[in-house]
Amino acid sequence: MTTDAPVPPGSEMHGEQELTCEESLAVVYEYLDGELDPERHDMVRRHLERCRNCYPYFNFERLFLDYVHEVGARGERSQDLEDRVRALLDEETG
Amino acid sequence: MTIPAEPRRREFEEEALVHLDALYGLALRLSGGDEPRAEDLVQEALLKAYRAWDSFEQGTNCRAWLMTILRNTFINQFRRQKSRPTDVEFEQVAERPHSPALFEADPEGRLFERIIDAEVIAAIDELPEEFRVAVVLADIEGLSYQEVSELMGIPVGTVKSRLFRARKRLQERLYEYAVEMGFLK
Repeated sequence: MTTDAPVPPGSEMHGEQELTCEESLAVVYEYLDGELDPERHDMVRRHLERCRNCYPYFNFERLFLDYVHEVGARGERSQDLEDRVRALLDEETG
Repeated sequence: MTIPAEPRRREFEEEALVHLDALYGLALRLSGGDEPRAEDLVQEALLKAYRAWDSFEQGTNCRAWLMTILRNTFINQFRRQKSRPTDVEFEQVAERPHSPALFEADPEGRLFERIIDAEVIAAIDELPEEFRVAVVLADIEGLSYQEVSELMGIPVGTVKSRLFRARKRLQERLYEYAVEMGFLK
């Protein structure tokens, strides 16, 4: 399964037309990653404001991505590495 | 104008070396927890940065500058070895069906407050490299699909599907862990 499932014929977005759950769920990550064009982004946002089925799922995915980011972006310590980097700079400085 | 060696060295230590932990963290995630490889990567990146220190614009974001150098250093190696055969594990992840188990078991994401970070780190590190690198660049480093696509040399559509599969795989791992620990049934 991919996130870019084809949009069924006849459901192209025009003006105030609303997205279905299926159409919203197909772009959950693109929405959360800020990768949709502003118009489509707004359509998904409006769908989520009304849809009790989709909102919890989007919220869950948001929490998951925030969590991965927070944990993954933490630094890691290595005293040995610091010593080796200083030695490398000593060599380079001459 | 070339900055004389001593002040230049001091300046580099004060402004760049303070980011060593962040650089090593990124190097470890990119290399899947391989400590010797991550240490080599940090050293190579810092040496490049030190040699290019005169071109660093004072007052701009030094951490971001260093992270970019490290990322590019890694990507050069990654792209050089990319011609190697696709491993079996890669296919297995690619073929896995979508499993919403974690969401169904824990829709409010309470697990994320209880799980120990080492489990998540291990789950990221164990992803096949082609998936892991996409996750690290997009989810940890916050790069756009387009930027990940350019760095990895793959189409944007492939970035999307790799992120999708990798994220689902991470959720499966977390679900298995949560059941094992008795957090979820």
